[in-house]
Amino acid sequence: MTFRSKLFVNFVLALLASVAIIAVAVTLISRKAFDQLNRDHTIATIKQFQVEFDRRKTEVQHRVKGIAEEQETTAMAVDLSRPNSDVSVYVNDAHGVSQSHQLDFLDFVGNDGSIISSQESPARFGYKMDWVTQQQDWASRGAFLMKMETQDGPQLGLISVSTVRVGDRNLYVVGGERLDQKFLSSLVLPEGTRALLYLNIEPEFQSANLLAINGPAQDADRLSTLVQREQKEPKKAAERIVWSVYPPNAEEFHAIPLPEDSPNMLALFLVGSSQNASIALERKIRWLAIAVSAVGLLFGLLLSWWAAKRVTMPVQELVRGTQEVADGNWSTRVPVHGKDEIGQLAKNFNGMTEQLVEQRDRLVQVERVAAWRELARRLAHELKNPLFPLQTTVENLQTAHDHSPAEFDEVFRESTGILITEIQNLKAIVTRFSDFAKMPQPELSPVNLNEIVRNVVKLFEAQFGAVGRPPITPELHLEEGLPLIQADATLLHRAIENLVLNAMDAMPGGGVLMLRTMHTSDEVRLEVSDTGSGLTPEESERIFTPYYTSKQHGTGLGLAIVQAVVADHGGSISVESETGVGTSFHLDLPINPPQVKVTPAPPILVEQPVPVPKA
Amino acid sequence: MSRRLAASSIAIAAIIALPAIATAFAKRPHYGGTLKAEIGAAVASLDPSTTPASAEESAARTEIDSLLYESRDAEDGTFSGAQGSGPFRISDWQPARELTLAANEKFSGGRPYVDAIDITMNRAAKDRLLDLELNKTDFAPLSPQDARHAAERGVRVSLSQPDELIALVFKSSASAPDKTTDALREAISAAIDRAAIANFILQKTGEPASGLLPQWISGTEFLFAPPSSAAPADGIARAKELLKQFPSAPKLVLGYDSADSLSQAIAERIAVNAKEAGITITTLALPQSPATRAASVAQSSQVDALIARIKLTSSQPAAALSGLLATAATIADVDASPLAASGNAPAATAQDVLDRERAVMKTHRIVPLEWVPQVYGLSARVRDFQAPAPGETWPFAYVWLDPSPQPSQ
Repeated sequence: MTFRSKLFVNFVLALLASVAIIAVAVTLISRKAFDQLNRDHTIATIKQFQVEFDRRKTEVQHRVKGIAEEQETTAMAVDLSRPNSDVSVYVNDAHGVSQSHQLDFLDFVGNDGSIISSQESPARFGYKMDWVTQQQDWASRGAFLMKMETQDGPQLGLISVSTVRVGDRNLYVVGGERLDQKFLSSLVLPEGTRALLYLNIEPEFQSANLLAINGPAQDADRLSTLVQREQKEPKKAAERIVWSVYPPNAEEFHAIPLPEDSPNMLALFLVGSSQNASIALERKIRWLAIAVSAVGLLFGLLLSWWAAKRVTMPVQELVRGTQEVADGNWSTRVPVHGKDEIGQLAKNFNGMTEQLVEQRDRLVQVERVAAWRELARRLAHELKNPLFPLQTTVENLQTAHDHSPAEFDEVFRESTGILITEIQNLKAIVTRFSDFAKMPQPELSPVNLNEIVRNVVKLFEAQFGAVGRPPITPELHLEEGLPLIQADATLLHRAIENLVLNAMDAMPGGGVLMLRTMHTSDEVRLEVSDTGSGLTPEESERIFTPYYTSKQHGTGLGLAIVQAVVADHGGSISVESETGVGTSFHLDLPINPPQVKVTPAPPILVEQPVPVPKA
Repeated sequence: MSRRLAASSIAIAAIIALPAIATAFAKRPHYGGTLKAEIGAAVASLDPSTTPASAEESAARTEIDSLLYESRDAEDGTFSGAQGSGPFRISDWQPARELTLAANEKFSGGRPYVDAIDITMNRAAKDRLLDLELNKTDFAPLSPQDARHAAERGVRVSLSQPDELIALVFKSSASAPDKTTDALREAISAAIDRAAIANFILQKTGEPASGLLPQWISGTEFLFAPPSSAAPADGIARAKELLKQFPSAPKLVLGYDSADSLSQAIAERIAVNAKEAGITITTLALPQSPATRAASVAQSSQVDALIARIKLTSSQPAAALSGLLATAATIADVDASPLAASGNAPAATAQDVLDRERAVMKTHRIVPLEWVPQVYGLSARVRDFQAPAPGETWPFAYVWLDPSPQPSQ
């Protein structure tokens, strides 16, 4: 990925992240506000419920007390206080009295706890209501929540008990109001809030016992978990119910067990706060964020593209400049835009390339001088050796001519022989320098490397076993089926010849010269190893430098020629050496070399080639 | 106990009726006047070919027909002669609302004392009682549980012998599996506190029943006294003992006539008693009106037992038992009922009647609950009214109106 692409992506991501953060922040803030609103509604509803609950309690207590204080009730109590009184005449009284006092529950209970008359369960006359007789002071008790047995099964009611005492006998008036949806309908609920009442009159959850204002609550089963939890451990709790995802419909329910602070829950008051408005707003914000993101993304794409282009253009120019410098064009300059960091960078880059060119020119000059000096030293060294015998021989000829004419002929013959030999030496030296200078461009043709290796070894066979010097044993490990390579056979022959010569020079005490060929899919390798004294690491590094030699009489051109030939064939050469063990050269040549590039000869030789006659 | 209660009921009736009887004997019968009567039934048709929609209408039809026809067969209850050949003939007829009968001057048994009878139909029980209190009517059948209340409020009340059996009849249908067993039925019977029903629901106008025939007819009813007749706790204990063989609490549905508040009250009391014993009984109101007859039949198929009110058709033990069993068998689906197996032929001797009654009682398919009398509210001017015995009808042909106390208009 380019720098511009990265920059572009970063711009876009930053833009999206900003929109997302804003959307989330707005969502959270609005949700918090709605939660607070819902909480306020819930608290208000609960307070209203408690006020209404207390009001109903007081009302029930007053009504029951009113019945107890009525003349008819007193007359009943007086009648029942008599021995052998007939209670059956009062069996239907509760019905009429309860209707006139608008009570859902009314029981007249005798002194022994037997039901005399019951409104809610007329057939239970004669049965005991023992709990009534267990409390001594009903007047101070007030109304309370209680499960009442009725003809239609158990029901919950706000119950109050009053006592009519005649003599030592009591007549208990038990009355109450049913706790049902009518009670819920008396609550004024804030918008989006509803109240439910679960009548805990069965041991297991019964959906029919969950009441709303209009009757049994719909989808009551969804609240079963909350109710069952409260049945096990009554305490104030809250739970969020998602009725449906689409359309969004969710409610948060707050549960208040009744009576409060009692382990025996009789009813559960539930306040449901609709989350629909909150969900709708959240969704609106989400969609708005998506829409803004989409527009922002489009706008951001354009802006980011423009900004990235503007920012990266100087950088790209710098990259192009550095690439040209890397390619050798040290005179490259990049335009300077502005005075910011990028502009300063471009300015510095231009300064660096200027200094680089100056340094390079200076270095070239220095190297040229050094090369000339080296060449002069080498030439002086090479030429000095033959020149000394030439001078001595010429001086001997002069001496013989002046002082020993008789011996002059003999001296002349010997001297001319020496002169010819030394001149031959001079000629050979000059030829070697000339050859290096005249490195020709390779002419490629299919070449069998094994064949070239064999020819070179054959050329040196006489010298390997020459009398007077320790023998060198050549070992050839040539891979059969080595593919033909595109190469210049003459140049390769010359390079291998130099390597063999180098190896022979490295083994003055004799040894083993091993030549090995092998190939990979696209290369062939030639390995030339000797068992000589080896090279030091420093020598290994400089061994391919022209005119460098570790030998006493070397020109330092042999391995430089080898490297030039290998490079001209698109190959590479490396050396491995271990002191005291030997040295191994590895030539890797491509089977199909790329476009051949001729290695320029050292400047001194190119600029001033020395014409050397062929031997 | 039951005899005591019966005696007390009769005593109340006697106390109320004696002054009137004394007055009647003290005066000569008077011809003339229109007797105003109110009944609860709505008689839709007097055409013999039509079938009454309910038992209440059927009973009312019988009473009216007995005034219109010359004679009635004592055994099969059919009327002979033409309509109008009886002591009265139809003067005005508004189906299900009003019926005015005029005295038949040519009646073979002699002209009735009253000139006319004005019968208002479809009158609710509380309205009838109120009209009696206000002297707006001369005659109105009352519910047994209202008798005491009516008497306390100054209404003249005439009671018949306890001739109507309120019973719990268990269904035995060939088309539906029988959910009850002898033991379960016996347990339910034992759990029922009959005395409480008589005292509280019937307001002592009635007596606990233990047999299929009342003591005053058969003389052997005491032989079938259930354990609860001694003490309710004994009955509950017996029921619990019988229920031990059931792995779980039995559940039954008890139906009652939705138009009959007495049946409803008794059914609900039975449910309470059964619950104490460990049996869950759900009560179900069965509509009786023609419009809901189909629903009633469908619902009755859901019930396991019914509260039945069976009026005896005769004072003779054998005939009374046969009639009662026939009615009960109709209610309990006679085809599969053991009641049918007990035979329909009239028993010849008292022992035969007892054996047959015992055979039926052994099945506990008919659980006698209460014996109740027919209760009639009368105005002060009605004279010579004798509460009809089983199989008899309203004696309007022999009643005369005392002209001195006039009903209000």
